Amino acid sequence: MSEHPGSSAKSALQLNDELLSSLRPPSLRWYGLAFFLGAVVAWGLYAFTYMVTTDMSCTGLDRPVMWGIYIVNFVFWVGLSHSGTMVSSILRLSQANWRRPILRAAEAMTVFTITVAGLFPLIHLGRNWVFFYLIPYPNQRGLWPNFRSPLLWDATAITTYIIGSSLFLYLGMLPDLAVARDRSRGWRRKLYTILAMGWRGTAREWVIYHKASTLMAALIIPVAVSVHSIVAWDFAVTVVPGWHSTIFPPYFVIGAIHSGVAAVITLMIIIRRAFHLEEYLTPLHFDNMGKLLLVIALLWSYAYFVEVQTTWYAHEPIEWEVFSFMAGNYTPALLLMLFGNSVLPITALCFKRLRRSIGAMLVISLLVNVGMFIERFLIIVPSLSHKNMPFVWGTYRPTWVELSVTAGAFAGFALLYTLFAKCFPIVAVTDVRELDVREASVPFGRTKVPSVVGKE
Amino acid sequence: MFPLLRYEGGRGSYDIRTQFIGKIMEKQTSPYKWGMVIDLDRCTGCGACVVACQAENNVGICDKKEISEGRNMHWLRIERFWVGEYPDVRVRFLPVLCQHCHDAPCEPVCPVYASYHNPDGLNGQVYNRCIGTRYCGNNCPYAVRVFNFYNHEWPKPLDNQLSPDLTVRSRGVMEKCTFCVQRIRRAKEDAKGEGRLVRDGEVQPACAQTCPAEALVFGNLADPHSRVARLSRSPRRFRLLEHLGTHPSVYYLKGGGREHV
Amino acid sequence: MKRRTFLQLTGMTAAGAALSGCQSGNEKLIPYLVPPDEGVTPGKAEYYASSCRSCPAGCGILVRVSEGRAKKIEGNPTHPVNKGKLCAMGQAVLQELYHPDRVPQPLKRSGPRGSGAFTRITWEEALELLAGQLRTLQREKATDRLALVTPQLSGTLAELTTLFMHAFGSSHHLSFDLLGPDWLRTATRRSFGQPGLPWYDVAETRYLLSFGADFVEHHLSPVQYGYAFGRMRQGRDTVRGHFTYVGGRMSLTGASADRWMPARPGSEGILALGLARLILAESLFDAGSLAANGLRAEELLHSLAAYDLSRVAGETGLAERTIAEVAREFATTRPALAMAGETVAFQTNGPDAVRAVQLLNLLMGNLNRPGGVYPDGGSRVGPENSFAELLSLVAAMRGDRIRVAMIHGDPVHAIPPATGFQESLARVPFVVSFSTLMDDAALQADLILPDHAALESWGEVVPLAGTQHRVIGLMQPVVTPLFDTRQFPEVLMAVAGKLGGRTAAAFPQQSYLEMLKGAMEKQVGHKGMDFEAVWVDLLRQGGLFETRHDQEKDYRRAPGSPLPIPAEPRFAGDEKRFPLHLLVYPSTAFYDGRGAPHPWLQQLPDPMTTVVWGSWVEINPRTAAELGIGSGDLVEVTSSQGALRFPAVIYPGIRPDMVAIPLGQGHRGGGRYAKERGANPLALLALITDGTEHQPAWHATRVRVSRISEKGELVTAGHPQGSYRSELIEI
Ligand SMILES: Nc1nc2c(c(=O)[nH]1)N[C@H]1C(S)=C(S)[C@@H](COP(=O)(O)OP(=O)(O)OC[C@H]3O[C@@H](n4cnc5c(=O)[nH]c(N)nc54)[C@H](O)[C@@H]3O)O[C@H]1N2
Ligand SMILES: Nc1nc2c(c(=O)[nH]1)N[C@H]1C(S)=C(S)[C@@H](COP(=O)(O)OP(=O)(O)OC[C@H]3O[C@@H](n4cnc5c(=O)[nH]c(N)nc54)[C@H](O)[C@@H]3O)O[C@H]1N2
Ligand code: SF4
Ligand code: SF4
Ligand code: SF4
Ligand code: SF4
Ligand code: SF4
Ligand SMILES: [Mo]
Repeated sequence: MSEHPGSSAKSALQLNDELLSSLRPPSLRWYGLAFFLGAVVAWGLYAFTYMVTTDMSCTGLDRPVMWGIYIVNFVFWVGLSHSGTMVSSILRLSQANWRRPILRAAEAMTVFTITVAGLFPLIHLGRNWVFFYLIPYPNQRGLWPNFRSPLLWDATAITTYIIGSSLFLYLGMLPDLAVARDRSRGWRRKLYTILAMGWRGTAREWVIYHKASTLMAALIIPVAVSVHSIVAWDFAVTVVPGWHSTIFPPYFVIGAIHSGVAAVITLMIIIRRAFHLEEYLTPLHFDNMGKLLLVIALLWSYAYFVEVQTTWYAHEPIEWEVFSFMAGNYTPALLLMLFGNSVLPITALCFKRLRRSIGAMLVISLLVNVGMFIERFLIIVPSLSHKNMPFVWGTYRPTWVELSVTAGAFAGFALLYTLFAKCFPIVAVTDVRELDVREASVPFGRTKVPSVVGKE
Repeated sequence: MFPLLRYEGGRGSYDIRTQFIGKIMEKQTSPYKWGMVIDLDRCTGCGACVVACQAENNVGICDKKEISEGRNMHWLRIERFWVGEYPDVRVRFLPVLCQHCHDAPCEPVCPVYASYHNPDGLNGQVYNRCIGTRYCGNNCPYAVRVFNFYNHEWPKPLDNQLSPDLTVRSRGVMEKCTFCVQRIRRAKEDAKGEGRLVRDGEVQPACAQTCPAEALVFGNLADPHSRVARLSRSPRRFRLLEHLGTHPSVYYLKGGGREHV
Repeated sequence: MKRRTFLQLTGMTAAGAALSGCQSGNEKLIPYLVPPDEGVTPGKAEYYASSCRSCPAGCGILVRVSEGRAKKIEGNPTHPVNKGKLCAMGQAVLQELYHPDRVPQPLKRSGPRGSGAFTRITWEEALELLAGQLRTLQREKATDRLALVTPQLSGTLAELTTLFMHAFGSSHHLSFDLLGPDWLRTATRRSFGQPGLPWYDVAETRYLLSFGADFVEHHLSPVQYGYAFGRMRQGRDTVRGHFTYVGGRMSLTGASADRWMPARPGSEGILALGLARLILAESLFDAGSLAANGLRAEELLHSLAAYDLSRVAGETGLAERTIAEVAREFATTRPALAMAGETVAFQTNGPDAVRAVQLLNLLMGNLNRPGGVYPDGGSRVGPENSFAELLSLVAAMRGDRIRVAMIHGDPVHAIPPATGFQESLARVPFVVSFSTLMDDAALQADLILPDHAALESWGEVVPLAGTQHRVIGLMQPVVTPLFDTRQFPEVLMAVAGKLGGRTAAAFPQQSYLEMLKGAMEKQVGHKGMDFEAVWVDLLRQGGLFETRHDQEKDYRRAPGSPLPIPAEPRFAGDEKRFPLHLLVYPSTAFYDGRGAPHPWLQQLPDPMTTVVWGSWVEINPRTAAELGIGSGDLVEVTSSQGALRFPAVIYPGIRPDMVAIPLGQGHRGGGRYAKERGANPLALLALITDGTEHQPAWHATRVRVSRISEKGELVTAGHPQGSYRSELIEI
C-alpha cells in the first residue's frame, strides 16, 4: 500500500471536497454530453415505437433466424452487469484495499446494465403490449405463465438481480449520502436527507453497516452466477445445433465476468479523467485489474477451446455444419473476437508496463467488450441460420431499427450513468477515508488494529 | 387408453423413455392420438396440399418481398432436394408440416402456454395467448412454425373466402399446422352427438383430403386397426430427425424402389 | 340469378354434404380457441357439387358455402375422374370468384387500345352496341366477317357457339387451346382409325414408360393420373409399378421416375422405334396382338432394321446399355404401358414420334387391356386441326376480312405471337372480350362483357380423357353473383334475340339453363319419367357418371396405316448462332397462364425450382458454368424471334444443350397479382410445323443465352445450398 497517495497530509475536508467534486453544478460540457446522449436515446425510442406501431417486418428477423441483435444485446448487457457486483464483492471479501475508489462506479454500472438488459426481452416481443402475460398475476381466466420455460427463469433471475444489485449499491452509498446531505442545500439536501435515512455515523451504525455490506457481498455472488447460467440455459436447453451444449452456463459466466471486468477498467479510466481522480485510481489499481483480466481471459479461452474442440471431435454433421458456416461466413468477426477476447489480453497483460499504461488498458478493455458482443452474435445467429432442416436455412442482417434501438441502449446506459454521477458520490468517500484513517494510524497496515471505523 | 408402444407400431424406435411417455399417455383419457403417414413413394411433389392448407386455414397471402425475406407463411411445405449430378441426378420431395411431436421442443419453452399439448396428442397453438417471443420457432427442429412478421390483409372481396372456423392471426403471433383441428373437433362433436368414436377416415385434414396421389394418410394412431396405424408399422417407415427424441406423430415411408431405400 | 332459383339450390345441397365424406357441415361464429373441452355447438354449412373448368380435365368439386360465401373447394369423392382429389389450380378456383380485380360490369373502351382506359356502361347499352355492330354486318351481307375465338369447348357450350356462328352466317369460329390434344387425336386416328383419346390404366400397370407425357403437371387429366400413379406405386400389396421417363428435361413427372432418360430433343420417336426393333429382334413381343392387328413380326423387324442399337444410341445421346435394359424391362414386365406427351408431340417429327410410341403398346399387346390403354369414354371426338384454323383466321384478320372479333378466354396471352395472331387482331375494328378479369385479351378489346366466375355459372363439363366410361360433369352456381356480370352463353343468346330472324330462331330456349337441362335430358334418356327429379339428383351428385361399360370401339390398328418413320428433326435457328434447344413447358401452377392471376398459385413454390412469384430459365450447371452464369443471375434468352430476360435457375435435371422456361407468366393484364410479372416465353417461339399436316412444333426453337447482371430478383422457397444437403436429414 506504500504507493497509496500520502493522503494523511490532506484534511478530511479536502478529501470530501475532492471525492464529492462530481456533485458540483454541471458544466456546459456536461450538458452537451447529456443532450447528445438524450438525442440518441430519443432516436432509439423512435425506432422502437416505429416497430411497435407498424409490425416486426422492419427487423431483419425471419425463419429460421427468429432471434437477432435484440437477444445479442440482452446477453451482452447481462454480461456487463457482472462487472460491479462480482468485482466489488470479490474485492470486498478478499479485502483488497485498492478496490475502494472504484466500488461505487462498478456497482452503479451493474444496476444500469442489468436494467438495460432487462428491457431487451420485452423490446423483442412480437406483441410487446401484452408482455404482462409473462407475469404470474391472478386472473379470472385461470391463466398462469409456464415456469418450465427458461424465459420465465430469466424474468425471475433478472428481477432478483436488479433488486439485489440496487440494494447493494444503495447500502454502500448510505454513509456517503449522509456526507453529501451535510454538505448540500436546496433540493439536493432534501433528496439526500430522505435517502440517508438519518445516518449519523455512530459506531453501532458502522458495525451494522459493515456486517450488512459483507453479507450482501456474499449473497450477491451466487445471484450473479445464477443469472448468467440461466441466460446460458436459454440456449443450452434447446435442441438447436450449436446451442445445445452443457458447457454453456460456466462458459457464459466466465464470458460475463470477462466483459464485466473489462468494462470496469474502461469505466475507471473514464472516471479518472472525468473527475480528476488520478491520485485515487493509480497505475497500481490498473495493474491489479489487469492481472484479474488476464486470469479471466485465460479461463475464457480455455472454455471456448473446449466448446469448439468437442464439436470438432464429435463432428456431428449438423453441428459441424453450423460451425463451418459460422467460421466461413463470419471469418473477420470470428478473428476479431478471438483477438479481442483472447490473443490481445493474454499477450499484452503479461507485461507490467502495459498493465500500468492507462492507454494500453483502455484499448484492451474496449476490445474485450467488442469481442464479447461479437461472441454473443456468433453464438446466436449462425446456429439459427443453419438449423436442422437444410431446405429452410437462412441468413440474418440487422436493420436500421434494430441498430437504432441498440445505439439507444448504449446511449441510455451512458445517460443514466452521467446523471447518476452528477447526483450521487461516484467515488466511495467514506470507504476511501476509512482506509485513509487506518493507514494514518498503521503505516504497514497488515496487523489489525481496532479503529474508529471498526473492523471490516 | 393404448400404451404408446402400441402406436409406436411395436417395432424399433421405442426406448425406456418412450415407454415412460406411454405410461403418462395411458393416464390420459383421450381415445385419440392423431397422426399422419406420408408416403414419399406416392408423393409427386405437385403442391396441391400446400394450396389446400392455405385455403382451409386462413393462411396469409405472402408477396414476393415477404418470401424473399424468408417469411413465407405456409403451414406445409414441399422440400425439394437434388441428389447426384447430371445425368444420374434425382429429386426427392419431402412434405413437411408440424410433426405434432409427443415430446415437442416448442412446448416447454413457451412462457405463456400458447404452444401446448392436448390429450389427443395435438400440438396446439393459442394465438390469443401468444406474445411473440419466437422461442418456439427457434426450438422447433423442423422449422414449421411461422411468425406473423407482417399484418396480413385480404383485399376485398378476397376476404369473403376466409373460414369462420379459425381466427385470422394478427401480426406478432406464431402459427403453424394444427392438423386442421377445426375439422377434428367438428368430427368429434358429431361422433359425440351419436355417442360413438370418430370413425377411421371420417376426418381428414385439407392437405390429405386433396392429395391426388393419396400420399398423406391421417387418422388415429391410438387405434391399432386404423389405416394410419397400419401404415405406420410399414418396414419403409421412418421419422424426421428421429435421433432428437421428439417422437413425432408424423411417419414417413421411404420412396419404394428408389436407391435410397 | 333469381333468389328463388338460389333458394331452390340450397335445397339441393344436403346430399352434397353427405357426399363430402370428410365432414358434416358444421359452422360457428366464434373462433376455436383450442382447449378441446369447450363444446360449442356450431351451425351448418352447405356443400354444392359442381365442376372445375380450370383445365380440360374437368374434375368434380364440392364447394363449402356458409353465410352465402364460398369458403373451400374439395374434390367430389364420387366423381369418377378425380375421386375427391384436386390439384393446386382446382383449389384456387375460389380466387377467381373473389378476385379483387374482377370486371364488375360491362366496359366500353375510352382510351387507345391496350391503354386499359374503359368506361362503365349498362348491359342494355353493351348488348345494343354489340348487336349494332352485328346488324351492320348483316345489312352489308358481310356476316362472314364475324369471328369467334374460344378455348376448346365441350357439351352445350360447344353446340351453342357453333349454332350461333352458323345461324349468324360466319365460318370463323376458332376453338383453340395451345395445349389442346389435337396432336393426340390425329395420331390416334392414323394409328387406330379413330380420334378417341387414350385413357391409360396407369393404376394397374407394372411398367410405365412415359415419352415426355407430364401427367402430374398437366397432361390430359393430371389429378386422375396423379391418383393412378399413387396406386401404381403403393396401391398393390406385392407389386410396385416401375416408372421410366424419357425427355431432355426432368419434369415434375420425370422427378418421380425410377429412371430418367434425357434423350436428345426430337429423337424420342427414334428411341421408341429402337426399343421396338430390339423387342422384335429378341422376339419378346406379344404375338397375339401382332396377329390381331394384322402385322407380321419379320416384316416389322425388317422395316425397322435401320434402328439398330448403335444408331439409336447415337441419335438419342443415351447409352446403348440403358436402351437395351429399358427395352427388356418394358417387354418382360406385364402389363406395361407407353405414353407419349407434348414434349414429343411438339417437335417437327412429333406426329410420327407419337405413333412410334403407340406402336410399342401395340407390340406388347397393351391395347384395351387392364394396365394398358383404352379409348377414353368421354371425349370421343374433338378438334383435330385447330392450329390450321388458327392460321387461316390470322390470314383472314390480316386481310381485313374480319370486322368483329368476339373473344372468350385469353388467346392474346396464350398464343405464340409468331403465328401473327396478336398483330392481326389489332387490325380488327371491333373486338369484344368476355373476360372476368382485365386480362391481355380484355385490354385489346373495345367492349368487355364480363362473364360470371366459374362458381357463379351453370354449365356442363365433359372431362377430357378422364375415364374409360362416359362422364358429364355439371356446373351450378354456388353463390349469388358478386357483380353485375352475365354468363357468356346467356349473352350470346341475348344478342341473338336482339338480332332476330334466323339467329334468334336458332335459340328457342328461354335461357342457357333450359338448354342445358334439355341437353342433359337427352343424355339421360329416361323417357317419360319426371326429369325435374332426375335433374336435382344430377346436380346433387355433380353430374352424370355412367358406370356401365358401354360398347366403346376398341383400339385396333387401322388397316393399311403406314409405319411411323420419324423424320430428322428440324429446328428454327441455326446451331451456330443459337446453340441451345428451348423447351417452353406449361407451369405446374399456371397451366397455360390461366392460373397466374391467383395469389395462392403465385405464392406456391414451383415444385422443381421452388421459385415463387415469377418466371425463370432453367440451365444445366455445366452450361451455366461455361457461360459464367450463377444462380439468380439475370440472363437474356435470344431466339430468331427476339430476346427476353429471365433470372437463371441452375437445374441439374436438364440436358446441357437445352434450356427450359415455364409458361404462364408475363401477362400485360390479369389483375394485380399477375400484371407485368415475369415474361411470356411464347414470344421466343418460332413458327415451325411438321410440314405435312400443320402440327405446330413449339419445342423446335433454338436459342442462345447470355448473362446480363447478377440482379435476377429470383426468389426461391428452398435454400440454394441447403437444397443439395438431404444427407443432413437422412431422407
Ligand atoms: N364474430 C364474432 N364476434 C364476437 C362474438 C361472436 O360470437 N362472433 N362474440 C362477442 C362476445 S360474446 C365476446 S365476450 C367477445 C370476446 O372478445 P375478446 O375478449 O376479444 O375475445 P378473445 O379475443 O377470444 O379473448 C381473448 C383476448 O384476451 C387476451 N388474453 C389472452 N390471454 C390473456 C391474459 O392472460 N391476460 C389478459 N389480460 N389478456 C389475455 C388476448 O389478447 C385476446 O385478445 O367477442 C365478441 N365478438
Ligand atoms: N371456443 C370458444 N368457445 C367460447 C368462446 C370462445 O371465444 N371460444 N367464447 C365464450 C363466450 S365469451 C360466450 S359469450 C359464449 C357465446 O356462446 P353463445 O351464448 O352460444 O352465443 P351464440 O352461440 O353466439 O348465440 C347463441 C344462440 O342464440 C341465437 N340467437 C341469436 N339471436 C337471438 C335472439 O334474438 N333470440 C334468441 N332466443 N336466440 C338468438 C343464436 O342463433 C345462437 O344459436 O361462447 C363461449 N364459448
Ligand atoms: S398433394 Fe400429395 S402428392 Fe402433391 S405434393 Fe402434396 S403430398 Fe405430394
Ligand atoms: S414439429 Fe415443431 S411445432 Fe410441431 S410439435 Fe414438433 S416442435 Fe412443435
Ligand atoms: S412465440 Fe408465442 S407460442 Fe412461441 S413461445 Fe413465444 S409466446 Fe409461445
Ligand atoms: S393438417 Fe391441416 S393444417 Fe396441417 S398442413 Fe395439413 S392442411 Fe395444413
Ligand atoms: S386438374 Fe384441371 S380440372 Fe382438375 S382440378 Fe386441376 S385444374 Fe381443375
Ligand atoms: Mo362473451
